[in-house]
Amino acid sequence: MSDAPDPIPRRLHPATLVARWLKSAPQMLAGAAGLLVAVRDRDLAPLLTFALGFLLLAAVLAALYWWRFRYTIGPGEIVIEKGLLRRQRRIIPFDRVQDIAIERKLLARLFGTAAVRIETGGAAKDEGTLDMIALADAEALRDRVRHGAGPAGAHAEAALPEEPVLFAMDLPRLVLSGLFGFSLVFFAVIAGALQQLDQFGLFNWSDWFTPERADRAAHLITARLALGLAAMMLALGLVAGVGRAVTRDFGFTLTRTAAGLRRRRGLFTLSEVVIPIRRAQVALIESGPLARLFGWHRLSFQTLGADRKEGGVQVAAPFARMAEILPVLAAAGFPEPPPRQALHGVPRRALVRQSAPALAMAALAAAAAFLVEPWLGLAALALLAAALIGILRWRKHGHALGERALFVADGYLKRRMWIVPYEKTQTIRVMRGPVQRALRLSNLLLDTAGSGALVSPEMHDLDAAEAETMADALLARFQAARAGRPPRSSS
Amino acid sequence: MAEHRQDEEGGEVPEMTRLDSRQIWVLTIRVGLVAAVLALAAWILDRPAREWGIPASALPGATLALGLGATVIVPRRRYRRWGYREGADELEIRRGTLIRVRTIVPFPRVQHIDVAQGPIQRPFGLATLILHTAGTHGAAVPLPGLAMADAEAMRDRIRGKIREDLA
Repeated sequence: MSDAPDPIPRRLHPATLVARWLKSAPQMLAGAAGLLVAVRDRDLAPLLTFALGFLLLAAVLAALYWWRFRYTIGPGEIVIEKGLLRRQRRIIPFDRVQDIAIERKLLARLFGTAAVRIETGGAAKDEGTLDMIALADAEALRDRVRHGAGPAGAHAEAALPEEPVLFAMDLPRLVLSGLFGFSLVFFAVIAGALQQLDQFGLFNWSDWFTPERADRAAHLITARLALGLAAMMLALGLVAGVGRAVTRDFGFTLTRTAAGLRRRRGLFTLSEVVIPIRRAQVALIESGPLARLFGWHRLSFQTLGADRKEGGVQVAAPFARMAEILPVLAAAGFPEPPPRQALHGVPRRALVRQSAPALAMAALAAAAAFLVEPWLGLAALALLAAALIGILRWRKHGHALGERALFVADGYLKRRMWIVPYEKTQTIRVMRGPVQRALRLSNLLLDTAGSGALVSPEMHDLDAAEAETMADALLARFQAARAGRPPRSSS
Repeated sequence: MAEHRQDEEGGEVPEMTRLDSRQIWVLTIRVGLVAAVLALAAWILDRPAREWGIPASALPGATLALGLGATVIVPRRRYRRWGYREGADELEIRRGTLIRVRTIVPFPRVQHIDVAQGPIQRPFGLATLILHTAGTHGAAVPLPGLAMADAEAMRDRIRGKIREDLA
């Protein structure tokens, strides 16, 4: 940097050395453990040398990374230079920065540092990360971007000394949300760990699980034991769910900033993210079957150029009452969803497609069960359940054209309500397959930016003529919203 | 938007601009190539098929006949289902024989525009106009079978409109 005298290139916090070194240590240890097993009976001396060499190499690599990583905060931009062999120099102008996310893992908190992620809304996965710099520097950088040449509206930040809290979760609420987030992931983790041990030869399934033992075990399994096991699994699942919720959402606070919603959360890893309102494309309110019974919902926003970990979806309220969600929606500029009774449903003949095939197959399987194989009865039951779910889902599927947004409801077990503002339309698509053509039905999709590929607010099996008219209406509303004209009253 | 046209099954899409008629030839070559490859595969499989009791040349013969039939029928059907309408502020495209799709792309949503020309299109002087949006489900919307000059003119018109929108 010979020709830029004023901004001084800086390096990351020295603690980065330790963090990066420690990060690579588990792999090293695993490798060492593998070697330990491989050379079980042999001399330990070469092995120890090997392990030490590994650790040294990791330390050298971490040091090289640190040494070759420099960043410069200029008057209107940040320049990041990195790379050992292939040097990369990235310039990020402040006015392109959508937000600066600050994340503090446990280690970072010990050192008083933070990882800073600069988000520009571009397509690149890693747009600019400073992992790690001193917390004070991180906050200064964030303030600088927000107050300086940040996006429009950032100047007003100073006028809001105390950001109003939109939503927060206390510990009891957190524990409750964890209970509903009951998870059996725990078992997968244990099974995975055992399998790892098995691979290293420290624990052997086949030694442990012999036919004789299985036979003996079969005699031991009584109803009481089975019940006890089930209860234990349930308890463990609940504990795992609570643990996950508490570590992730501890101290969850959502505040209103000038340009967006600021979310802080985390027990060990503290994270802070701003969801810029202008970037929020779609709001989604969802609730699982059990949580819904008690009136709990989850609100998230689909954003552009969002956190890559969460795939463009930012949770704004993980476990909230509807009355708590509505103010958050209002703050983000999204209209309130209409009551379910106000939604337009889907024609009855859609059932032919959504439920009839499963029903027909269920009948077939039932017939086969009587005539050929009794166990096919199970298949018949499963298909019957599928057909039933199809009917229930059909009943819950609906949409409404509001003043400013399209509302789409879908799902029976997990219910989803999408709020898609008209001005966020990317494309409009009407689609129908051969069966739908015969039934005069069409799917209609209002495509938006940043939505997931799996769940989208597609409307299934609308009346074909209605879908065409609606597509035209959606286009007109998009254009009206773009032109800034007052939106036409709903039809 | 009151009365909406109900397109007849297999009929043409009304009120829509058709693709360049040379696109039929492009489609014919494309279907013909697939048919040729399949016929070749059937010809290779002819000998082993005989051992399964299938009469000699029956497999390649049938494949060839079906392929020829498809090459004659499918391109015209496909061509008839394509249509577009260039509105003041949006492009509307209809396509698909089995699965019918109608896509509306508002011009302000177009991120960038490509004019592409494949090897089969080139001798016919045809091109494909591709509108890219920031959407997720079908972010790139192609419109094939335009004469090169038309595709370029259309691209320039749309580009002009995007500029207006930014201004």
